Amino acid sequence: MSLADFYPWLKALHVAAALVFTGGVLGVSMTLLAMPGSADGALSFARAIHRWDRAVTTPAMLFVFAFGLALATAGHLFADRWLQAKLIFVLLLSIVHGLQSGRLRRLAGGAAAGRWRAVPVILACLLAIVVLAVVKP
Amino acid sequence: MTGDSAAGIEISQLRRLEIASIAEAATLLLLVGLAVPLKHLGGWDTGVRVMGPVHGLAFVCYIWLAVQTVAGGGWSRRETIRLFLAAFVPLAGFFNLPFLNRKRLALRARGMAG
Repeated sequence: MSLADFYPWLKALHVAAALVFTGGVLGVSMTLLAMPGSADGALSFARAIHRWDRAVTTPAMLFVFAFGLALATAGHLFADRWLQAKLIFVLLLSIVHGLQSGRLRRLAGGAAAGRWRAVPVILACLLAIVVLAVVKP
Repeated sequence: MTGDSAAGIEISQLRRLEIASIAEAATLLLLVGLAVPLKHLGGWDTGVRVMGPVHGLAFVCYIWLAVQTVAGGGWSRRETIRLFLAAFVPLAGFFNLPFLNRKRLALRARGMAG
């Protein structure tokens, strides 16, 4: 029983975690877009989103990484160009999540989060990641 | 104590960063101070094969948490550079601790006053 035997399961869990992570990242992006100013009445909403971000979205990101690393190891994929390119976009998306979480924390603390225009970058990364993963050019 | 207040949220964030800082520095210490000598002097390479990826993971976690922390605001450029440099200078993660502790105490004082 090697890691490669679990390949389909690893892939399924990797994709599931990626969907949860992506949903979380887009949710925070929309929150920051809708509430750039100090969130007086919507403070409880900002805090709820912040709690979700910490409890679900960030762990989902860790799971995506873990299953992704297991997949790449089982399939000996690290030498493939498409994966190397995909990892760059994955890194970018992870950094965007980190930056957004920080801004969300500010919002949850009652301060203003400022203007935030990450959605185009997020969508571009998502498109690149999925194209590279599926087409494997 | 650390609840949903602005200071409380930041204090939890700083605590997480402190833990990651310790983990990053400690895993490097174990890797370079223990696993590498054991490999080169004793021919035992399992330590390196385990501690290598473990330290790599700790390093990535620290960098990510540092990004997330600084994005919350309240960090000068000098402090930000210091935080990131700590990941690249061996054992600097340990020296991060008094610095992060001071930040946390300042927040707590501000939280109690506010």
